[in-house]
Amino acid sequence: MEQMKILLVDDEKTFIDNIASLLARRNYQAKAVYSGQEAVDAMKSEESDVVVLDLKMPGMDGMTTMKEIRKLNKTSEFLMLTGHGSIDTALEAVKLGAHDYLAKPCEIDELMEKIEEIAIKRKEKNKKKSLFALKGKGK
Amino acid sequence: MGKGRESSALKDYENQPRPDSHYKRLLLRFVFLTTACSLIPLLLVGWGINGHYTRFAKSRLIHSLETQLADHRKIIELFLQERTSRLHLIAWTHSLAYLETGNNLESMFTVMNRMDGSFADLGVIDAEGSHRAYAGPYDLMGKNYLGAQWFNEVLEKGVYISDVFMGFRQVPHFVIAVLRIEEGARWILRATVNSELFNALVQGMQVGKSGEIVLLNQEGVFQATPKFSGAIMGRAPFSPGGLHDGVKIETVAADEKNAPSRAHHQIVAQTWLDEPRWLLMIRQDYEEALDEVNHANRLTLFFLYISAAIILVVTFFITRYMVSVVKKRDIEAEGLNNQIMEASKLAAIGELSAGVAHEINNPLAIILTEKQIVADMIGETRRLEKGFKERLENALAQITTQVKRCKRITQNLLRFSRRTTSVIETMDLNAFIEEVIELMEREARTSGIRLLFDPGESMPPLVTDPSQLQQVFLNLITNAMDAHDGKPYGTISISTRHDPLRDGVVVKFADTGTGIPADKITRIFDPFFTTKPVGKGTGLGLSISYGIIKRLGGEISVESEVGQGTEFTISLPLSAPLQANGEDANGRRSLSPE
Repeated sequence: MEQMKILLVDDEKTFIDNIASLLARRNYQAKAVYSGQEAVDAMKSEESDVVVLDLKMPGMDGMTTMKEIRKLNKTSEFLMLTGHGSIDTALEAVKLGAHDYLAKPCEIDELMEKIEEIAIKRKEKNKKKSLFALKGKGK
Repeated sequence: MGKGRESSALKDYENQPRPDSHYKRLLLRFVFLTTACSLIPLLLVGWGINGHYTRFAKSRLIHSLETQLADHRKIIELFLQERTSRLHLIAWTHSLAYLETGNNLESMFTVMNRMDGSFADLGVIDAEGSHRAYAGPYDLMGKNYLGAQWFNEVLEKGVYISDVFMGFRQVPHFVIAVLRIEEGARWILRATVNSELFNALVQGMQVGKSGEIVLLNQEGVFQATPKFSGAIMGRAPFSPGGLHDGVKIETVAADEKNAPSRAHHQIVAQTWLDEPRWLLMIRQDYEEALDEVNHANRLTLFFLYISAAIILVVTFFITRYMVSVVKKRDIEAEGLNNQIMEASKLAAIGELSAGVAHEINNPLAIILTEKQIVADMIGETRRLEKGFKERLENALAQITTQVKRCKRITQNLLRFSRRTTSVIETMDLNAFIEEVIELMEREARTSGIRLLFDPGESMPPLVTDPSQLQQVFLNLITNAMDAHDGKPYGTISISTRHDPLRDGVVVKFADTGTGIPADKITRIFDPFFTTKPVGKGTGLGLSISYGIIKRLGGEISVESEVGQGTEFTISLPLSAPLQANGEDANGRRSLSPE
């Protein structure tokens, strides 16, 4: 399994730093930033496979950040973190294209489960792409 | 509404904002005001009109008395005038010689008296006072009248009507005398008026039972027989007073000197005859004279007071009814007030708990990550002996459990503190429930609970507020999951069906949890009532759910058996009532499938 690049975005520094080190220990490439703007900037310099966004942040909130990053990059997947239980906003994010959401506090295992789901999804997509490529060659 | 609420009568009592004494005082005040406002005008008008018409009737009565008396006077005067002129005719058309002779006077008397018998006798008297001729029952031929008052008067005045006197016959009588001057000689024709006839004439006027007609001369001597006050020729106990024109009417106070047996207030009308100067007087008991008027007056007052009494009684009952309406409104208002206070209490608590929950989630998240870091470190190290490591790992697991427990609590709080701005939409109930199940599936699985759904067939679309309904369903599922605490696994079965009879749908949530004991089940929908240990539940969930279902026009009820499980039944109309529709300030999206 190749290392997935994970971008972690949350204004709660302790929390997100811990998540980053826990993920790193589990063989992911994890980077932590502390605001929506920093996330956009980070994506500009290096694209991540998965972006984990806290919904409620000062400045650019999770939804806006997702929309901004989408403008730059169509392939990243998003996971929304919600700490204030508003499932509807999270669901809205899912409808807008986020892969799923997690309610804080959550175990690292739950987060990893979601990331693996995205990994599998990726693999499926890539398979399809190569099939198309073959088909095209056939014609 | 079933098992979850107290009786409404008890609620009324609790909701009465003011004591009964207040309403009693209010009643008295109202009764006083309304009766005053209705009675005072009634009585004023009644008394006014009654008084006015009584006065009017009395004055009419007195006026008619005046007229009657004046007419009666006229009758008496005419009678006397006519008799006088009859005598005058005879005296001046016949000579003394003729009248003296034989039976001439007698025949004349007979003829003259034939029509009405108004004369008792007839006599011719010469200037010396001796009878020259006589026709009549008395033996008067030898009598001489020289010096008699009437004799002197007639010689002087030519015509004279005397007062009543005894005379030679020793019987009360009065005479009409006419003087004839015949070739220098004077003689007098004199007739006695029939007393009976005259009395009858005088008394011939209606004066009621207590009334009498009195004829007095200027000295106050009776000239006709009165009914009560004395005898003819006697002195009247009342004075005739001075001469006056017309009819004089006055009331006389009760007077013991006057017939003591009839000491009454009297009305007296009097008028003077011109010739002779007699006073014609009517005396009648004031009460009797005005009997009819007084009767009408009393009758009117009687009906007036009856009306007033009826008004009083009716007013009392109407006012009592009005006060009861006021009291009921007060109770309603107080009830609404209390409801509003409760609602705002809940809203305040909701806001508070939302804030707290939100704030707590972040620290909890950090705790978990730190715990994971420690767990990782313990996992990697080889320097710990097995038992020690195990104990450490157990402790960490316990941290996780407790943090998860905190998470559950805050999530519950947050779910139920949301503002209920409702949006009514059309939705597919089965699809909706499937979405809700999807939301809760993860959590249920971790607790070892299966969520089963038995969708009803041919379910019609439901017009209601999805976000509020979701709140209710989530609450019920969460409660059901909590009820399995301690059980390794269980099931929550949700079913729907269409109820065509009541034009609605029925949704059931059945679990295999611990159940609710019978003594607690009646309070299950009360706010702040919870069966969970302190800190684990807010007691708000079912209360809010109950409110939501009621607002959406439905009913929610519960059945439970300890050890077996609990089943909640929700019935909803196909279309939510209008009140449930509020503003949607947030443009909340529905969860209906697109």
